[in-house]
Amino acid sequence: MLYYLTKRLGLSALVIGLVVLVLFSLLYFIPGDPATIALGPRATEEAIARYAEKMHLDEPVWRQFLIYIGNALTGDLGLDVFSDRPVTAIILERIGFTLSLVGVGMGWAVLLGIPLGCLAAVRPNSWLDRVTGILSVGTIAVPSFLVSIWALLIFAVHLRWLPAIGAGEPGQVGDQLIHLILPAFAIGLSWVGYLARMVRASMLEVMGENYIRSARAFGLRPRRVIFGYALRVAILPTITLIGMGFGGMISSTVFAEIIFARPGLGKLIFDAVMARNFPIVQGAVLVATGLYVLVVLFSDTLIAWFDPRVRESL
Amino acid sequence: MPQDAAHAPETLLDVRNLSVDFRTPRGRVKALRDVSFPIRRNRIVGIVGESGSGKSTVLWALLGLLAKNADVMGGEVRFGDRDLLHASEAQLRATRGEEISVVFQDPMTSQIPVLTYGRQMLDILYRRPNVSATEKRHMAVEMLRKVGIPDPDRRIDQYPHHFSGGMRQRAGIAMALLTGPQLLLADEPTTALDVTMEAQIIHLLQDLQKELDATIVVVSHNLGLIAELCDDVVVMYAGEVIEAGDVREIFHNAQHPYTRALLECDPARINDVSRKLPVIPGDIPDLSKALSGCIYAPRCQRVLPVCRETLPPDVARGEMSLARCHLLDGPHRDSSWPPPLDVMTVGQGEGTAAKPARAQRDAPLLDISDLSVQFEVVGPIQARLKGLTQRHVDAVLDVSLSVAPGETVGLVGESGSGKTTLGRCVLNLLPSQAGHVRFEGEDIRNMPEGRFKPLRRDMAMMFQDPVGSLSPRKSVRALITEPFQIHGIAGVDLDAEAERLAEMVRLPKHFLSRYPHELSGGQARRVGVARALALNPKLIIADEPTAGLDVSVQGEILNLMADLQAEHGLGYLIITHNLPVVRHIADRLAIMYLGRIVEEGPTDEVFARPVHPYTRALVEGVPQPDPDRRRVHVSISGEVPSLLNRPKGCDFAGRCPVAQDRCRTEKPPHLTMTDGRRHACHFPLG
Ligand SMILES: Nc1ncnc2c1ncn2[C@@H]1O[C@H](COP(=O)(O)OP(=O)(O)OP(=O)(O)O)[C@@H](O)[C@H]1O
Ligand code: SF4
Ligand code: SF4
Ligand SMILES: [Mg+2]
Repeated sequence: MLYYLTKRLGLSALVIGLVVLVLFSLLYFIPGDPATIALGPRATEEAIARYAEKMHLDEPVWRQFLIYIGNALTGDLGLDVFSDRPVTAIILERIGFTLSLVGVGMGWAVLLGIPLGCLAAVRPNSWLDRVTGILSVGTIAVPSFLVSIWALLIFAVHLRWLPAIGAGEPGQVGDQLIHLILPAFAIGLSWVGYLARMVRASMLEVMGENYIRSARAFGLRPRRVIFGYALRVAILPTITLIGMGFGGMISSTVFAEIIFARPGLGKLIFDAVMARNFPIVQGAVLVATGLYVLVVLFSDTLIAWFDPRVRESL
Repeated sequence: MPQDAAHAPETLLDVRNLSVDFRTPRGRVKALRDVSFPIRRNRIVGIVGESGSGKSTVLWALLGLLAKNADVMGGEVRFGDRDLLHASEAQLRATRGEEISVVFQDPMTSQIPVLTYGRQMLDILYRRPNVSATEKRHMAVEMLRKVGIPDPDRRIDQYPHHFSGGMRQRAGIAMALLTGPQLLLADEPTTALDVTMEAQIIHLLQDLQKELDATIVVVSHNLGLIAELCDDVVVMYAGEVIEAGDVREIFHNAQHPYTRALLECDPARINDVSRKLPVIPGDIPDLSKALSGCIYAPRCQRVLPVCRETLPPDVARGEMSLARCHLLDGPHRDSSWPPPLDVMTVGQGEGTAAKPARAQRDAPLLDISDLSVQFEVVGPIQARLKGLTQRHVDAVLDVSLSVAPGETVGLVGESGSGKTTLGRCVLNLLPSQAGHVRFEGEDIRNMPEGRFKPLRRDMAMMFQDPVGSLSPRKSVRALITEPFQIHGIAGVDLDAEAERLAEMVRLPKHFLSRYPHELSGGQARRVGVARALALNPKLIIADEPTAGLDVSVQGEILNLMADLQAEHGLGYLIITHNLPVVRHIADRLAIMYLGRIVEEGPTDEVFARPVHPYTRALVEGVPQPDPDRRRVHVSISGEVPSLLNRPKGCDFAGRCPVAQDRCRTEKPPHLTMTDGRRHACHFPLG
């Protein structure tokens, strides 16, 4: 266990370090003055000078890199070029919108996709199975930004059932939830299909295993056999899939946040890229990477919790 | 029928005229046809038959758990006042686990890996709302104790992978008996286990049956197990019950030609040590084709013209005895049938019958000395973090063994004893750490592949799993001639070679265009032999050459191998855990335990007078296909220790019935006795 944790944490640190390195070296591979590139063409002389001093631009590159890492470790991700506010504070303001979007988007996909996959596997070739199959293929094929646009046009613009843009009044949970519905629907939809397919396939495999036959031969209730035995094993590959898919989910939030004008991390990155506000881009991408690494770590831990064989080989 | 009424209360479950079809793409497979037999209360009933005879199908039909593509075509299964074949799913579910419970064939795959035994056993008791969880746990612990799990209070919270194969099967039996069922079904309960474990499980089942007054049905293809364990026996062939009766009647006075042939083919029964084993020619019939007359007629040694047209009568003898054959009743009755037990009714197949003259021992083909193979079990960093000092295990330790041309050496041991590792090392498929492996005098140990490659033509391997080791997309013709391509041998007529080899292993020519999945077990094995022979090797290493084959087919393969040896002077190293088989084919035996050879010598002497206590346990561990020769006690208990904690002294000390203090501190060296046999024991048996 100790060995495993050391290994995993080491690997995570390595991943994050590499991402910082890439972000950092981008600045230096693009021809021109790093300060101008970082702050963009519209930055003032004064800002450039301040930036050069702050980033220790007169120091060798590797020292600058170490300084950035050191600062990042203490939570200092630099200053926003325009407002001069700390990048960390800006990200913290926005991250909640993204987390809630991802959480609700993945949440409804999991709550719907896994039972659908289960039911389809328990009754293969039934109408439910067929419908699930068709829907899965359909939803997986459609990119989430198209879903976002269509959802916006149908439910917000045409039917006017739900608000089109924004994240709701600050402090009003109900209003914020209503604003979550459409974007969460959009980013979760293909995951419903994805999860249903995945769970169906692994359930079908597990239902053929000898130990399922044993459970039935001992007269256990079908519900217990399906959810307590088969799903418990079949869920394992799905957890890995969800963990890995989290990266894709974060990139689909960029579209959803732009289309629905939610002030989340994705929108922040998008705006910052457009404005060449490089400290923000650097900071936000770093935080997103950190999130991703955490989620993968969490999903692996969850698997270890479910599967004693994995737990002990750690 | 007045008699029927007299024994009716004694019959716990009655299978009557059960017929089951499977729908398959090839058509309907008539897997069970008109199967009837009673299961009498407080008895152990054995269902015996070769692979595909429908044994498992009967069991699953009793539980209403047949595969989805199965159709019950008729019959009934009377259990008390119910007919289980026509019971509702809810009724069946109430019966399963409570009144009828099951022990499964393979404890490795039939227990869910992610739940503890405690959880699994609580689940089985879910129908007892009045019993508290603590009491249920207590019941489970007691049941585990009863089946011989040491320290059950602690072990109940462990997962299946914490248990060894034998322990798992004990736990499987505990789970099945937990609810106190009236009927226990056991499908091949020991097939996945080693000989010494099998003996222990047989005795456990016997003891539990007496103690709990249970009724047990055991399905097995192992005649020895049936003879040792059962009171009543049902013999099945190709989906029919062809004979049934009391165990003594079946084993001493079999009426049906098939039963007779089956008994004669069992190597454990044959006393005369000849290399040729009896065989039943032909294969089990294709059940998807139309069937008429006697199902056994195509293979029967006594077939009459009438047999092919008319279904033979069920001839009853006693309470539950019956046999289905024209010879026993009616116009074709033959009063000289069945002949006395010592008359053989089946032949030994074609080919030369001579046992080759014992080979000269002075010029060994293969000579292994002091060979050791280590495996790294943990990486260096992990060992540091976990505080382990020992990173390697000795899978093979100080092994010396030789094989002469024309000689068959049997390497015997239980699973994990290092047999296969040794074989792979000889073929240079694994690196070894010490010792020598000489082939025709040249040291080939750890030779670079480039130099070793030409030698591969002289040494061939026959793999354990014939179908799995054959590439499914290649025809038999391509498979047989593959060695020529692997070794880049040009200028041979591949078609001619394929035909030559097919003829050598007596595979009909039209099989050359078939694919592996279209072959029976025995035929796939023949392809394996043909591949091994393709390049005229001098030495063949055969890993479990007949594992998974039925006795009637096993003889064919072994006879074939013996003939080829006599013709070509091949040397065989046969790796197996099947003692009755090596007894017939091997000149010498080497017994392995935990990577070491504990005894080595001429086969007949090792069997007649084992020197090492472990050898004796193995020899006595084989159940005899004779109900009058049941063992009263199990010769050794416990199981093989893990390589990770190899004992300091004798590896066998923990299980040895004659161990003394010295055994626990000092590893016994290999000693050669005056008659040339070698052993590793401080206190050899006299
Ligand atoms: N699900 C299935 N679909 C089609 N055919 C089947 C199915 N299950 C069994 N069979 C066929 O039914 C026959 C009886 O099979 P069964 O498994 O009962 O034999 P068995 O005596 O238990 O053999 P073994 O000793 O190999 O376990 C065989 O011909 C087999 O091929
Ligand atoms: S009925 Fe005929 S073919 Fe069948 S077993 Fe009897 S003698 Fe042989
Ligand atoms: S050395 Fe001792 S423990 Fe080992 S087999 Fe001989 S008597 Fe038994
Ligand atoms: Mg079977």
